Amino acid sequence: MQRAYMSKLLELAEHDKNILHVISDSGTGFDEMFRKNFPAQIYNFGISEQHMIGAAAGLASLNKIPFVYTSGAFLAYRAFEFIRDDVCFNNLNIKIIGMGSGLSWATLGPSHHTTEDIAVLRALPNLKILSPATPFQVMACVELAYKINSPVYIRIGMNSEKEFFNDSNLNLKFGGSDLIIDTQASDVCIFSTGSILEEAESAATILNGRGIKTSLINCYSLKPFDESAVDKNYKHAKLFVSVEEHNIMGGLGGIISEIMADKGIGVKLKRIGLEDKFASGYGSHKAVRAANNLSSEKIIKAILEALNERV
Amino acid sequence: MQDIKDINLDLKNLRKLIFLTAMKAAGSGLSHLASSFSCLEILYALYVNKAVNFDLNLRERDRLILSKGHGALALYAVMSRAGLMSREELLKSYLKDIGGEPSIRDLKGIEASTGSLGHGLSVGVGMALAQKLDKLNSRTFVIIGDGECQEGSIWEAAISAAAFDLDNLAVILDCNNLQKMCAVKDMIKLDNWSEKFKSFGFNIAEVDGHDVDALNKILNLKNHDKPLLIIAHTVKGKGISMMENNANWHFKLPNKKELKIFKAELDISDEELS
Repeated sequence: MQRAYMSKLLELAEHDKNILHVISDSGTGFDEMFRKNFPAQIYNFGISEQHMIGAAAGLASLNKIPFVYTSGAFLAYRAFEFIRDDVCFNNLNIKIIGMGSGLSWATLGPSHHTTEDIAVLRALPNLKILSPATPFQVMACVELAYKINSPVYIRIGMNSEKEFFNDSNLNLKFGGSDLIIDTQASDVCIFSTGSILEEAESAATILNGRGIKTSLINCYSLKPFDESAVDKNYKHAKLFVSVEEHNIMGGLGGIISEIMADKGIGVKLKRIGLEDKFASGYGSHKAVRAANNLSSEKIIKAILEALNERV
Repeated sequence: MQDIKDINLDLKNLRKLIFLTAMKAAGSGLSHLASSFSCLEILYALYVNKAVNFDLNLRERDRLILSKGHGALALYAVMSRAGLMSREELLKSYLKDIGGEPSIRDLKGIEASTGSLGHGLSVGVGMALAQKLDKLNSRTFVIIGDGECQEGSIWEAAISAAAFDLDNLAVILDCNNLQKMCAVKDMIKLDNWSEKFKSFGFNIAEVDGHDVDALNKILNLKNHDKPLLIIAHTVKGKGISMMENNANWHFKLPNKKELKIFKAELDISDEELS
């Protein structure tokens, strides 16, 4: 996803000299290329995330368009107040890209996991939140974010994520979603966000194979959210499921809960993700996902249990 | 250039305006009078004596950020004196439409919303960078407090300012030696900011923060190579004898008894306060 992000940014930076690639010693391996091509459009603030966001606000006040890029954890947690007071309160045109979403930094443990970002950033007025599931979708989200003149947070991974689309011309919109698997009269409706789509898709396919009619929706726009996706599917479903590489509190599960409560939708919701725990284990991204209930096998198990529990 | 007598009268009237504004809104809440009084001359030198070109219609204008946002009343009063807002509007809007901390949402001419300490210097670095990038012959001024220097982000911004050779960035340290609860020196055993900022790569100037002439000279000096720190030695609560250097006055308005002294020292009549 990093490569996808940088290739899109290079493309945009060529056509808009106000676009700035802003980093905090958070290089991608593509920065030299960026610097070579657009030397006046790259700023590295060093290991100072709070300062970087404040400075981005200063740059945006003079009509620059900073694309700020570092670990989502360091942005959403360490620089939260700066995102709130300097960016969101003034509604400045800054794009904040949090990489290493979820458990991507799988060998480094929770200090580097971005697993509460959706929960905390959702509560910030004026901030839109995109959560692309694949590299092509990253490119489309960056393009979409560029189209508006207000703050956007984009949550991206950093490992070779599985691709589900043919190209990056995805016609995304704020408040949109993708119907990945459309099963008529579904018993189970899975909502997934981010690259965990890979595991959710595996699970959904297997469930359908076992005769449990399952639909799968990829939620690439978390704020605003596609409420109609929840509305549309409830008439048939016995169970809603949210799958996210995030605490089950306050993220995608929280978003869906709120919509269901607002609309009086009385379907059981099984929230799959980190169960208000810091992730445990180290290893490959896939292994750490599995160790924390986020493999397709674990997802299937959780869904089957939820179906049996249903009164 | 104004006569010193005129300047002193101007400043007294501005302190009076600040005080009347705060008292008029007392029903809504308290104000940071003392902090506003310590940075008044600094703001006056910047806006009224035109050290700063702040024509809002010009992209090439200089920018002023009041990072110690709780000095807002001083900023509003000076902006009013500089023609950006009428006296009546200030008296009417304070703590209704404009708040105890400056917000770009509320008032045209505010360059950055501040309130939480330690943000404004970073925003100033960003502005100064953009000015350089666009080859604008402009400066960015940031007023910080000495208590505010306890926030780590100030030092991130300071490192960055020097790293980017921002000689168009002038930081004015309103050094009144107090914070909310006590003297800065008692809180952190430290009061020599000159050494600190110099070691972070700043050019250093020191000035009497209540001497408009001296402030003007320093603000108009050409600064090169490094960002500039102007240490303005000030008195918190300057202008009212019982407030001066007294930490108790951080967020407080006078009671009936104390009011008599305020009125006498600022030449305020009963009618003006009603």
